[in-house]
Parts: sequence; structure tokens; C-alpha cells
Amino acid sequence: MIDVDGVTCRFGDGGGSGRADDDGAVVAVDDVTLSVPDGEFLILAGANGSGKTTLVRTFNGLVEPDAGTVAVNGTPVSDDLVAARTAVGMVFQDPRDQLVAATVGADVAFGPENLGCSHAEIDRRVDDALAAVNMGEREGDRIASLSGGERERVAIAGALAMEPDHLVLDEPFTGLDEPARRSVTDRLRDLRAAGTSVIVVTHDLRDVLGLSDRVVGMADGRVAVDAAPEAAVADLPGLDVRVPASFETDGSGRHTPVAGGDTASGP
Amino acid sequence: MTLSYVPGGSLAHRLDPRSKLLVQVGFVAAAYAYTTPRGLAALTLLAVACLSLAGGGPRDLWTYRVAFPMLAIAPVVAGATLGAPWFRVERAATTGLASYRVLLILVVAAGYVRSTPVRESRAAIQRAVPGKTGQFLGTGVALVFRFLPLLKRDLLTAREAVQARGGGALPVRERMRLVAVAGINRAFGRADRLGTALNARCFAWNPTLPRLALGPADYPALAVGAGLVAAAVATVV
Repeated sequence: MIDVDGVTCRFGDGGGSGRADDDGAVVAVDDVTLSVPDGEFLILAGANGSGKTTLVRTFNGLVEPDAGTVAVNGTPVSDDLVAARTAVGMVFQDPRDQLVAATVGADVAFGPENLGCSHAEIDRRVDDALAAVNMGEREGDRIASLSGGERERVAIAGALAMEPDHLVLDEPFTGLDEPARRSVTDRLRDLRAAGTSVIVVTHDLRDVLGLSDRVVGMADGRVAVDAAPEAAVADLPGLDVRVPASFETDGSGRHTPVAGGDTASGP
Repeated sequence: MTLSYVPGGSLAHRLDPRSKLLVQVGFVAAAYAYTTPRGLAALTLLAVACLSLAGGGPRDLWTYRVAFPMLAIAPVVAGATLGAPWFRVERAATTGLASYRVLLILVVAAGYVRSTPVRESRAAIQRAVPGKTGQFLGTGVALVFRFLPLLKRDLLTAREAVQARGGGALPVRERMRLVAVAGINRAFGRADRLGTALNARCFAWNPTLPRLALGPADYPALAVGAGLVAAAVATVV
């Protein structure tokens, strides 16, 4: 469980794209209160500069709030950063920022090595994580030889190898072509089925709306929408995010139309 | 092309990194001890063998091309005089041999880099140098080898961006200024993002290091390394 209570994040003048307060500082996240239960598939939606990336970076202490608290599994993040970063795995918007080793296996092993796991445990985690993203036979491949979609999957595997309770993916579809998007979506569907809590940060909900249990929409650093996808869709186009023309809640067979949705490539 | 680890099954890939480090240390010592053409000829064979045993070739040396003009011009500068006879061949020859010695060391280093994963280098250093000093050195090596390829790619991207918008017609000095400014900006941004990524993945000063074990092939390598060190020491005692 992630508990966000009254979190506010400010950056110095010019440090972000949100609105400025009276002191000239940019308020990226403004008094946000939110809970993310275990096992939930949550979409954090919003336009560029709405504060969604800053907010999720408070979940594992990469950004320290100026006000408010964030607790993961009941422990304040500031009290135990390693525990928070183990419990909340993060996949960055550009996987090139995240991949730090020359080969797939070495990169996925990087996190477990830092946690001090035994060699047998590291091997098991690497095998499991690569299998989860359908790259079980690619352990020895060079990172430099991978496509964009494959790098995204290795980045996801690197986060999964930490065996997090929550997996945060920041704009996971940016720059991916359709096959790569489908591949990542399939992996997310598998993770959801396996009970992993997934938080997808995105301004384009076409691929993931049907997978979600809940949608939180942000605007100007504040929560503007917080509802189940069927109820949230009416307000989402007003947040300048891209939504499908209709979507099917995973496995239900029932399609929900979305007013103002994208008719070009909805699921 | 950036010289970095290349997965493979060559003999050098199978060696323990500590063996390879000893060979490198021995080679450097011998290269500084034996500066005669004959000595350097023998070391040339050894350097080429090291790179070949790592599955490498002349293309790997292209990474070091920035150093080549410096190595080539050094003998000219050393031989030049302000007055008659204007150029002293013996001085140029001595410096030329020294430049060649550096080139040989780069060849051996290329063999090491392409056959050794960064984390194995880190493990070898931390096991060879105990305590916080070893952790500091090992972490430094790991970060440098992770950061440099990214930085180089950023500089290339900055240069391409300048050229794509007609910057190729600008004077060399202006182009260098543009690439340097963009490169420095990107380097800071890259360092920031790399630091964030390492934090997110619980970067530790003392992680679980890969298993290292000396195998049958390591003993000849250790003997070569020790022999080179001994040969170098013999010249000064």
C-alpha cells in the first residue's frame, strides 16, 4: 500500500513546468492525498507538466516532498529509502536513462546485487524477471543491440528483479511502434494477472485504459479525477490526455464508449 | 564505435579479471623497462596476441583515434629545436618509441575492456584492494565505464544536431563551441539522470559481487603477468 498524504513539491524558479506560487517557485504537486492499494492497476493521467512524474518519484524517495508524507507499506519513505525503493520499482520514461550495464543479464542483476542477495537468489530473480518480459533467452545480448521495445522490456525486467510490491512505469509507450506497444501491453496484462500492483503514468490511455482498475487524472499538480475507468472517462478529455473511442474492461466483453475519444487507434 | 565489453567466448573472456589485470600491469611495467626497438618488437607481438585472444582486431583501436595525432606529433615536437640543427633525430626517435609504447598499452587495454564486464572489473578491484579504498576504486571504475559511453553518444548526437541544421558550414571554432556547450549541458543532465537511476535501483557501495574463480587457463596468464613484472624489475635491480 502506498499512502500519499497532503504532498506538495516545489521547484526553484524555472525548475519545472507547473504553475508558480507567490515566491516564484514552481508548484509541481499541490497538496495531493492518494492511496494505492496492493494489487491495483492504476493509471495516473495528465498533460505534460501536470505533476504526475514528480508525484510518483515521491513514492520511492527520488523526490522529497516539501510538505506532506508518503508511506509505503506503513513506513514513511524518508525513514527507510532502501525499503521504499525495493517496494516501489520504477521504469523511467527513457529506458536509456535506466539501463546501466552492457548486457541484458548484467543490467537485470544490478538491482538484486545492490540489495546484497546471494548469487543463487540473483540468478533466480534474473531468470524470473526476464521470463516475465519474454526475454528469457536474451540474457547475454548487448543492450546496445536491442530495439526500443526490447529496451523497455529489459527496463521493466530490471525493476521486476527487485521484486517490488508496486511497479511504476513512466510513459512506457513513448517512442514505441505498434508491435512494441502491444508487447509492453501484453507484459502489463500478465503482471496484472499475477497480482502485481501496477501504476502507469501516461498522457495516452489508449493502450491501458481497459486494463485499469482506477484512473487518477492530474492537472496543475492537483488531483482532478479519481474514479473507476468507466466513471473517469467523461472527464479525461478535459485534461488534455488521449483516450480511446471505446474500451473493454479486461475480459468483460463489454465496450464502453468514450465521448471525445480517439477513433484512430482505440483498442 | 565505443570500446566496451563485447559478450563472447574467447580465451580472454574465460579468464579471471584478476589474471588479466596482472597481465596488464606486467605489460605496462615491461613497456617502460624495455624501450629499445627490439624490446618493443617483442611487446608488439604480445600486445597483438592479447587483443586477438580477446576476439578483437584493428577496428577496436579506432576508439583511441583521438590519441593518435598526439602520439604522432610528439616525436616531431621533441626533435624540433629553436636553432640549428633545427631537428634532432635521436630525440625524435626516443620520443617516437615512447609514443609507440603508449600505443601498445592501448592495444592491451582494448583487449581487456572488450573481454571483461564492468562488474567483474569492479569485483576484481574490490577483492584486490580491501576495505573502503577498494570499494571507492571499484565504484569509480564502474561509474566511469557506465558514464563514458553515454557521454560520448550525447556528444555525437549534439554534433549531428548541429550538422542537421546547417551547422556544417560554420567555422570549426564555432562548431566546436556549439558542440562543447551542448555536450556539457547534456553531460550534466545525463549525470543527473544516471544518478537518479542508480538511486532508484538501490545503488550500493558494497553489492553482491560476481563470483570470481581462477581456472586452468588463468595459471599461464598469471605466469605471463608475473614474468613481465619480474622482467621489468630485473632492469632496475
